[in-house]
Amino acid sequence: MNAVKAALRNPPLLTFVLVALVWLVAGLTLRGFGAYGHLRYLLELSAVIGIVAAGQTLVILMGGIDLSVGAVITVTAILLPLISPDFDPTGGIGIVLTLAIASGIGFINGAGAAYLKVPPIIMTLAMATFLQGMLVIVAGGSAVSVTNATVIWLGQARPFGIPAGVLLWIAVSIVMLLIIHRMPAGARFLALGANPLAARLSGVSVTRNTLLLFTLSGFFAGLAGILILGMNRQGYVGIGDPYLLTSIAAVVLGGTSILGGRGTYAGTIPGAILLVTTTALITVVNASPGWRSIMFGALILGLLLISGREARR
Amino acid sequence: MTNSMPLLEARRVFKGFFGNPVLKGVDIALEPGRVHALLGENGAGKSTLINLLSGALQPDEGDVVVDGHPVSRFSPAAAREAGIAVVQQELSLAAELSIAENIGLGASPRRFGLIDYGKLATSVAEVCERVGLTEPLDMPVGDLPLGRRQMVEIAKALYRKPRVLILDEPTSSLSAHEAGILADLIRKLRDEGIALLYISHRLNEVQALCSHVTILKDGVVTADQPLAGVDNEGLVRLMVGRDAGDLFPPRLEGATGAELINLKKFSAGLARDIDFHASAGEIVGIGGLVGQGQEDFLLGLYGAIPASAETSEISGDRGPFKSVETANAAGLAYIPADRKHEGLVLPHSIASNLLLPSLGRLTKHGLRDRAAERDLVADLARRLTIRGDVDRAVQALSGGNQQKVALAKWLPLEPSVLLLNDPTRGVDIETKREIYLMLQSFAREGKLVILLSSDTPELVHLCDRVAVFREGRVVATLAQSEISEEAIVGAAMGVSTKGAAA
Repeated sequence: MNAVKAALRNPPLLTFVLVALVWLVAGLTLRGFGAYGHLRYLLELSAVIGIVAAGQTLVILMGGIDLSVGAVITVTAILLPLISPDFDPTGGIGIVLTLAIASGIGFINGAGAAYLKVPPIIMTLAMATFLQGMLVIVAGGSAVSVTNATVIWLGQARPFGIPAGVLLWIAVSIVMLLIIHRMPAGARFLALGANPLAARLSGVSVTRNTLLLFTLSGFFAGLAGILILGMNRQGYVGIGDPYLLTSIAAVVLGGTSILGGRGTYAGTIPGAILLVTTTALITVVNASPGWRSIMFGALILGLLLISGREARR
Repeated sequence: MTNSMPLLEARRVFKGFFGNPVLKGVDIALEPGRVHALLGENGAGKSTLINLLSGALQPDEGDVVVDGHPVSRFSPAAAREAGIAVVQQELSLAAELSIAENIGLGASPRRFGLIDYGKLATSVAEVCERVGLTEPLDMPVGDLPLGRRQMVEIAKALYRKPRVLILDEPTSSLSAHEAGILADLIRKLRDEGIALLYISHRLNEVQALCSHVTILKDGVVTADQPLAGVDNEGLVRLMVGRDAGDLFPPRLEGATGAELINLKKFSAGLARDIDFHASAGEIVGIGGLVGQGQEDFLLGLYGAIPASAETSEISGDRGPFKSVETANAAGLAYIPADRKHEGLVLPHSIASNLLLPSLGRLTKHGLRDRAAERDLVADLARRLTIRGDVDRAVQALSGGNQQKVALAKWLPLEPSVLLLNDPTRGVDIETKREIYLMLQSFAREGKLVILLSSDTPELVHLCDRVAVFREGRVVATLAQSEISEEAIVGAAMGVSTKGAAA
């Protein structure tokens, strides 16, 4: 009984349990769901959301939100093939450049929030709109194909049978958990999220940490964009759009407070898997796209009521 | 008058939270035309008793009795109906609404279902005059300083024409002048036959206003008697259950060291053209009515709000600090008055709050050194006698212990200048003494302590020098031999010319 109560108070654990239950039930009832190939595919999709949601988790922990992650993904997916130089067979230069641009976009978001005091929700929404306009001008309506070797490897290779994207996600998860739980910066983010004034008067720099957070969010969105490009082999306008809401939903499903100050990436990880699994289950149901969207929205609400709801304050 | 039937009583009430008994069979009777004092240390059960008397909580056992009739299910609505009004210690005003709207909230006169603003204004103006609120009634409450908001809160209670008025620490944020108005008002209400319950940590006020006292200690009544013939020491003894000795420790005579602060024409926020200097080993007091620029002066020194100065030297650094981090690096630390909103991250643990300023110092290869952090937290908790599990949320602590956490978190940085903003507000006597002793030991170790306080006796008994603020300027700097309550209050109110600005 006590163990159950403890689990109910521990959102990351609760979300993990929920994922396990859903997989178990679906695996026993739906043919093909429990196949290794199918589960691996679900994890591959989760990896993308998990990596976008990494930056989102940090920003939300500090009480902000980043509405530009979808646009940043699209920017990286379209820009990378265009700026990868031909003389570099590995494609490393293109990746570094693209990640620098994605981080730069995040930095500008942070600068707007920190110096101009624009609320993050407005700043990042404006940034997303701005980027979408730029993309239409740069890329037009056409899709660009990727030839960058490293990107293709990342999207397609399976060392030891594990997709490279999942390996990348594991690496990102380790880094994220270290930042939040083992580095001074993580404790500062949480303090700023829970009480910015008290944190500032305790010598925590609001400016520096805001810049850092949004830069990280841009970086992780860029990383996810590269992975999506590798999996898709093509970049086009709108490729990143589905990841904005899913990244926020994964964070909240994992029990992180949307108001900031409380939460962990350990919850976002099962949050992302749960989200992808739910989508897959809905796809199995034979329904029109409209109904699928409605079911998806209703299911997210239902899941939030079970796991990710705000704890009583 | 005093032998009439009580308007409101609690009879043998018990109340516990999560298995912890807070009130263990408490009796109290509020009679018309009497100012009744309720005393007790923080955590003694005063707030719980008030909540029972005002219907916010239900007793586990025992009765709340109105006009001699036990009430079975007492609710806030029933309490209002019975004419019971409470002025809470924590303000319950809506910052965006005007003074008039706040006072009338929930009890506004209606016409055709809409608020009758004309009628509201006249009836509110009447109450405001009684409490000495002269601000325009359409002014948003958020624009008022803390002390004036407290007066609005009192006006709000009076607007409902109560028969029983409960005042929970009404003067903790009031200036001496406002406290005086309130005292006159309380006497007037008493003479009108209202039953008053007065809760305060300031014993001189209690002595001046009240005629009967109930003292709570750990949920039990230790005294229920007329106040006449009991002196302050006697009251303190009843509260702490032993001889507390003097509240203030004896003054220390120490040599002052090097000059740490020297300001010419320093301005920040409301504070204008301040000339100020202070040296290591001193305790310098900042006095004056509430909201005369004292807080902005400290925040400006601390780099938390923009400041300017003709010449300035703070801890060997030129020019006012541009950010809190540079001030911290130069050895300054600030303990805010509003510990719940400015001093502490309430939902986080005691340990994380204690570690926040020193996070960057306890690292190994860029990662937090858990062992070193644990040692530091244990050491701080021991030095400040913060008992219990340090992983509890800091909001679970009593006010006094919260203040200790807000102070203790700076110790690892070994600051050379401590800026304190009303550190003993709403703190029990035992913790007050601990804080006073701590401030003295800081000064003895050669640190500079700047103590802003709204509690004048504190300034008198602890400080080597007191700068008195009025309308943003230092109007008097009193040397130790000149410090007295009269001199400070006089300068603050502009009635004395003694001790010209130095």
